[in-house]
Amino acid sequence: MIQDRFAEDPGDRARVFGVVVLVIVGILALRLVQLQILDASEYTGESRSNAVRELRITPARGTITDRNGRLIVDNEPAYTVLIAPRYFDESRAGLLARLLEIPDSVVTRKLAEARRWSPYRPSPAFRSVPFDAISRLLEHRDRLPGVTYEWEQKRRYVAPFRAAHVLGYVREIPPSMLERRQEEGYRAGDLIGLAGVERGYESQLRGRMGSAFRLVNVHGQEVEAFKRGAEDIPPISGRDIMLTIDYETQALAESLFVGKRGAAVAIDPQTGEILALVSKPDFDPDVMSRPISRELWNWFQSSADKPQFNRATQSLLSPGSTWKPFMALMALQEGAISPTSTVTCNGGHPIGRGAFLKCMHVHGTISVHSAIQQSCNTFFFEMMTRVDVETFSRYAHTFGFGEKAPLEGLEQDTGLIPDSSYFLKRNPRGWNVGVPISLGVGQGDMGVTPLQLARYVGAIGNGRWIHAPHVVKALRDPDSGQMVRPDLPEPVAMPFDYRNVAIVKNAMKAVMEEGTGRSLQIPGIPSGGKTGTAQNPRGKDDSVFIMFAPYDNPRIALGVIVENAGFGATAAGPIASLMAEKYLTGTLTPESRARMARVMQVTSTGVAVFTEVEE
Amino acid sequence: MRTWYNNLDYVSLALWLALVTIGLVAIYSTTHGPAAEFLLESVRRNFDRQLVWGVLCLVMFGVALLVPVRFVQQVAPVAYVGSILLLVAALLFGREINGARSWIPIGGVNFQVSELAKFGAVLGVAHVISRRRPGSADLRLLLTVVGLLVLPAVLIVLQNDTGTALVFLALVPVMLFWAGVQLDLLMLMLAPAVTGYLAIVYEPAAILFAIVFTGFMYFRTRDRRLTVVAGLFSGGTVFALWIALTKVLQPYQVARILSFTNPEAAEYRSGVGFHLVQSLAAIGSGGFFGKGFMQGTQTQGRYVPEQSTDFVFSVIGEEFGFVGSMVVLLLFAGLLVRLVLLGSQMKHPFGVIVAAGAVGIYLIHLTVNIGMATALLPVIGIPLPFISYGGSALLAHSAILATVVALHMRRDDFSIYAY
Repeated sequence: MIQDRFAEDPGDRARVFGVVVLVIVGILALRLVQLQILDASEYTGESRSNAVRELRITPARGTITDRNGRLIVDNEPAYTVLIAPRYFDESRAGLLARLLEIPDSVVTRKLAEARRWSPYRPSPAFRSVPFDAISRLLEHRDRLPGVTYEWEQKRRYVAPFRAAHVLGYVREIPPSMLERRQEEGYRAGDLIGLAGVERGYESQLRGRMGSAFRLVNVHGQEVEAFKRGAEDIPPISGRDIMLTIDYETQALAESLFVGKRGAAVAIDPQTGEILALVSKPDFDPDVMSRPISRELWNWFQSSADKPQFNRATQSLLSPGSTWKPFMALMALQEGAISPTSTVTCNGGHPIGRGAFLKCMHVHGTISVHSAIQQSCNTFFFEMMTRVDVETFSRYAHTFGFGEKAPLEGLEQDTGLIPDSSYFLKRNPRGWNVGVPISLGVGQGDMGVTPLQLARYVGAIGNGRWIHAPHVVKALRDPDSGQMVRPDLPEPVAMPFDYRNVAIVKNAMKAVMEEGTGRSLQIPGIPSGGKTGTAQNPRGKDDSVFIMFAPYDNPRIALGVIVENAGFGATAAGPIASLMAEKYLTGTLTPESRARMARVMQVTSTGVAVFTEVEE
Repeated sequence: MRTWYNNLDYVSLALWLALVTIGLVAIYSTTHGPAAEFLLESVRRNFDRQLVWGVLCLVMFGVALLVPVRFVQQVAPVAYVGSILLLVAALLFGREINGARSWIPIGGVNFQVSELAKFGAVLGVAHVISRRRPGSADLRLLLTVVGLLVLPAVLIVLQNDTGTALVFLALVPVMLFWAGVQLDLLMLMLAPAVTGYLAIVYEPAAILFAIVFTGFMYFRTRDRRLTVVAGLFSGGTVFALWIALTKVLQPYQVARILSFTNPEAAEYRSGVGFHLVQSLAAIGSGGFFGKGFMQGTQTQGRYVPEQSTDFVFSVIGEEFGFVGSMVVLLLFAGLLVRLVLLGSQMKHPFGVIVAAGAVGIYLIHLTVNIGMATALLPVIGIPLPFISYGGSALLAHSAILATVVALHMRRDDFSIYAY
């Protein structure tokens, strides 16, 4: 019953057996076809992500220098000590603590944390370790298996000034930004420029990350270079940036602004290069580039002085009397007035129904030249009645008012230059002529930034060309030494007859020699300027001053504002004059030093200071 | 004049040598690759030890060819009993390595007696089957054969090495087939295995199979009792498996059985699924030509656990690719077919059964081992014959082959007609 006739023949059994063998081998072979031919690429990816670790090689971030190559920002190493708990001899915890000069308990705690993360992989345990501690570790490396260190770059600020709003700062990339920029090669923990030039020229400064591929075993230990480094990508160094900033002028300007709120911008009128840019209160880029406490961060966000706000390019102020040279140029060019004709000042300008826009004095018959020199309001109210708002707006825009400058990374406000559509929008049923008339003396519905003022006064000083302000002079490839200049818009020709410009320039010279700027002259260097006082709704008036020097072929043009400091000649004027002197002569005369001491006494009311809360 | 070695089957010998050499190459890659400095000193010597074992096996081959064949037949019962005694000894006095108490140290060398027992079991069963009168297979013989194989299997399960024990159980239908047992009976015995496997992979397939199988058995035999048994064996397996997986077995055992169906799943990936994920990644990423000798990232990074022993096929798959894997498969196919041929040329049932046992042992190992490495089967830790690192397994598998080749060489002296 159990016996089978078929199975009794050994030949049959052998054949059955052979077939079974071949069927099984066939099934296994088909499985191999599936795994190794059809799905091979999928498994290749899997094995690679498994066993090949990418080490990123961070190129040195580009340095930042002033216009003459003086170093402002470079990099320094920040050391991190890592522990691989599996290989660390715990009886040496005391030694490690002694070498790092920290309590034993901290080492024990960090060791436990590291073990929880991974017993095999080196995990960062101690950050910002000083270099001498690292060298002590290296001396004892034989007795400290499993202890390694790595270094990462940190920005180092070597200049005696901050230039905070120009430089910006570098921080660990925030998670929200990381999501968007992952494709560009950013990883968690990478540094990224978050403001100023550091942000605007991020990709050039950063260079390109390199990669080295390492074969990693199942315990996370690096075994060897993957494919002997055949797939490694060398890093490309970041480009160094040469700013247009002048080291000494910037340093002087910042010291003059101690205790003040305000901004100063100095421009080379021949090129548009920004020689100095100050906005106070500001922040320390060095502090912002480190991990900072919550208290400090909150203070930065909530302080009434808004230290991160760039007053030089973002604050909108009424230019006040500094607007008068513009009005004069426009009126002359439009034929609203001739160089010799006059206007009568009776101490103000009537705007109907008995209302009156006041002048400081009763100037009597007054010409363009005198109107600028003596800052007669009546004259310029009259000029405003003789041109229309569209013309006003058009000329203002040629000077760059109401426009942004090509400053990569710096926050800017366009400013406000009203035109007819603006007023129509504000007053749909037609507007009163009285409203735009105040524009004639730089008051009312308009706003300009200190940067725009500097560009405008520079253009007047230059006489022929309006250059775009910029802050980066050149980018330098550190490997080849090759310099590249950033692309800039072509300079715009001044839309004014040179004779008209000469009249206005001359009047501005008279301001410095006989007018409100008498006390602000640069010793031995003729210049042109105009003081201004802008109404500030929050307290004392703002002190405004614009200036260019030397008078012929000027090399520096300045726009300075000191908030709540009153008349232009008291605070803003001396600052501009001292900056110009420093830039043009490289030094300050003893009289200027005395004046500098006086200026430093002037303060804006209630400047807030952050005091660290002691723990 | 024919000399004694004229009938020596050089083909088998060459295939054996080729497989052992491939094994040594794979083991060399795991011990002398670029990552070698991270290995324990004892692991680094694996290659040297396996090389010594290989040479010893070659010597043993030579000795086996000199032994008179009748002697082999006569010592077969002794070999079987000896194997059983060794298994018992290991259970009582043995050393535990990797969780299995199946090792006996002899002169500084650890022998895995469960491996050696394969040799004894094949000889013992061959002895019993070859002694019966031709055409007289009966229930007693059947039960004897089953008993001879279940006994060592039970001892090995007690040693906590279920994988090796399964080899003995899987050998039961193979040996019965050669004992001349009815095909229907064999099919009944195989039905639970097939249904069980299908139930794990895809339950509806198992139920469909159970229905088709039961129907098939009815139309084949027209025997109601047999049909009911067939239904119970196939359909019952689905139910029994369900009970086992949900009520009886521990979670880790369930994971071991089920993980191959989806090794990537979160609940398996960190445990037993890790073996499979890494093994698949190694073999699959080898592609057509492989990554090259000592160039496999999975191998050199030691991602596949047991990569020189049970998962040695992953090394070959990764570093030598589809080409290398197919060479191994074809060498095995060649050896097995060759052994079937040698068996059919033998003139004494003892030789025939030993050859069949050899084919059975190798086929089971080949199927389970490569099936496991490619995630076709659950993880069952048994070696790939001749290739996996391990002296006892190499010795046992080579001894079985040497016996077959020796019996075949002297088939004219060893014949039922030669009395």
